[in-house]
Amino acid sequence: MPNFITHQDWLAITPLLIAGGGALIVLLVDLLWPKHSPRAVSLAIGIGVLLAAGAFAATTYGRSYNAFNGGFMLGGFAVVFQEIIVLSAILSLSLFGTFGRDDRMAGITALLLWSTTGAMLMAGAANLMTIFLGLELLSLALYCLCGVADRAASQESALKYLILSSTASGFLLFGMALLFGATGSVTLASLMLPGLAANPLYWMGGGFFLVGIAFKLSLMPFHVWSPDVYEGAPLPVTAFMSVVTKAGTLAVFARFAYALPAGGKLLLPFFVIAGVSMIGGNLAMLAQTDLKRLLAYSGVAQAGYMVAALAGASALGMRYAIYYLAAYMFMNLGAFAIVAVLSGEREEGAQIAAFRGLGQRRPWLAAAMSFFLLALAGFPPTAGFLGKILILAATVNAGYAWLAALLIAGTAISLYAYFKVLRLMYDPHDQPAPGPRTSAPLAYAGAALCAAFVIIMTFYPLTPSNVLPLVK
Amino acid sequence: MHADLLPVALANYVALSSVIFFIGVAGVVLRRNPLIMLMSIELMWNAANLLFLAFARAWLNNAGHIFAFLVITVAAAEAAIGLAIVVIVFRSRANVDVDEIALMKG
Repeated sequence: MPNFITHQDWLAITPLLIAGGGALIVLLVDLLWPKHSPRAVSLAIGIGVLLAAGAFAATTYGRSYNAFNGGFMLGGFAVVFQEIIVLSAILSLSLFGTFGRDDRMAGITALLLWSTTGAMLMAGAANLMTIFLGLELLSLALYCLCGVADRAASQESALKYLILSSTASGFLLFGMALLFGATGSVTLASLMLPGLAANPLYWMGGGFFLVGIAFKLSLMPFHVWSPDVYEGAPLPVTAFMSVVTKAGTLAVFARFAYALPAGGKLLLPFFVIAGVSMIGGNLAMLAQTDLKRLLAYSGVAQAGYMVAALAGASALGMRYAIYYLAAYMFMNLGAFAIVAVLSGEREEGAQIAAFRGLGQRRPWLAAAMSFFLLALAGFPPTAGFLGKILILAATVNAGYAWLAALLIAGTAISLYAYFKVLRLMYDPHDQPAPGPRTSAPLAYAGAALCAAFVIIMTFYPLTPSNVLPLVK
Repeated sequence: MHADLLPVALANYVALSSVIFFIGVAGVVLRRNPLIMLMSIELMWNAANLLFLAFARAWLNNAGHIFAFLVITVAAAEAAIGLAIVVIVFRSRANVDVDEIALMKG
């Protein structure tokens, strides 16, 4: 086995180098500009860099290569995850039109680019070291991003996220150390070794590892951080976090789950907590008055759906999980874009009460918001509906019918929660509450793009069979 | 595994690092001072480091050593960011106590 780094290895991580190096360019331009670089310049460089990284990642589509002695995998689902991550970073960055102080914009853009780099690394990570490195790069930048607003709630959310997430990283790391002890190797492929099931280190290590993963995915008993952090963090950061952390962690979980021999008994408790999240997340949505908290609990349930698709570790389940993740990205970021349009810097539009009478005040915005909420609930003419059907098929096929039953029950509960917001928007007896009028052309464009994709994905399913090669 | 090369039996390392890890967990759960909580988190991470080094010796695999260096580097970055956030949050307060940080109830 060659021990030096080849040309191929560098090509494999070029999209990451573009995104990470682009952050330095943003900072350099800010430094050289008299005073600070304007908001538009930072955002334009950031979006340009992400487009370049995404385009370069797309050229690696269909190629299969194990870079850095199996540390970073190209091929299979890695590139699809990378595209999802880059796209949601672009959409979140476009929401920054009205948020954050002008003089901090370069720093914010750079942190967001680094965070994206970490998530892209997780998408291809194939050994414990690169998983840890990607996860920490993603998280460390996010701690700072949570605290960039001058509001006390924003700083509070940064501290909460820092302490709880670092604790979870501790569990993950301890699990990795035990797994290393069980197999004698840091590669995930070594989990295939026969005779591991007799080793207590393997069971303990796998358990700790999965606790860390469940926290990052915000599955139900480990979700306590997400509502508070989502509520406190600046809105575009919340939007970014809600999709990108899930995408990166789901990729890591998929690699881990698919490396275990025949699914593994180890994962059964994990699917149980996925089921708990579907019910609990949707129940908790009913009590919320803040739309960001509502979307946080919605995210808890949606993460449960995505994990359920992977039950049984079938190749088809992987495709459906990615399809649902892509659909979730567009539905969720679309809803966040509408909230961003309605909100000023103090984020008064994030209260559900701010949607009272929106149907009369701004009919187009209300229609778009209804569309995204219906898609999140899984209503028929949307990608959310098709995604749920596909996940149901995958879980039943894999012999996890009880997960399918929980998914249906959770969806029924969630309908009520989403309809509460819809009723508020269209109640004819409600006087429209005066809301702030902000002009955010980029946020409008983002919302339109998301809506278009939610519809397109219904009629032309992006992932099953025509985009994603079957994962081995 | 080459456990016979170790002067101390491998089980002792596992037991010690488990104890350190759960002291760290207890610190995060029980203490209310964010600085102590950050220290407890470092304890958890370093318990993992100890395990990596013990297993690297037992398996004669350098990857454990490299992993430990990686963890130390990341922990340094994490401590820098963590202390900065603690300073920002508590600049306007007299006491450093997480129970006072309760604008939002999860």
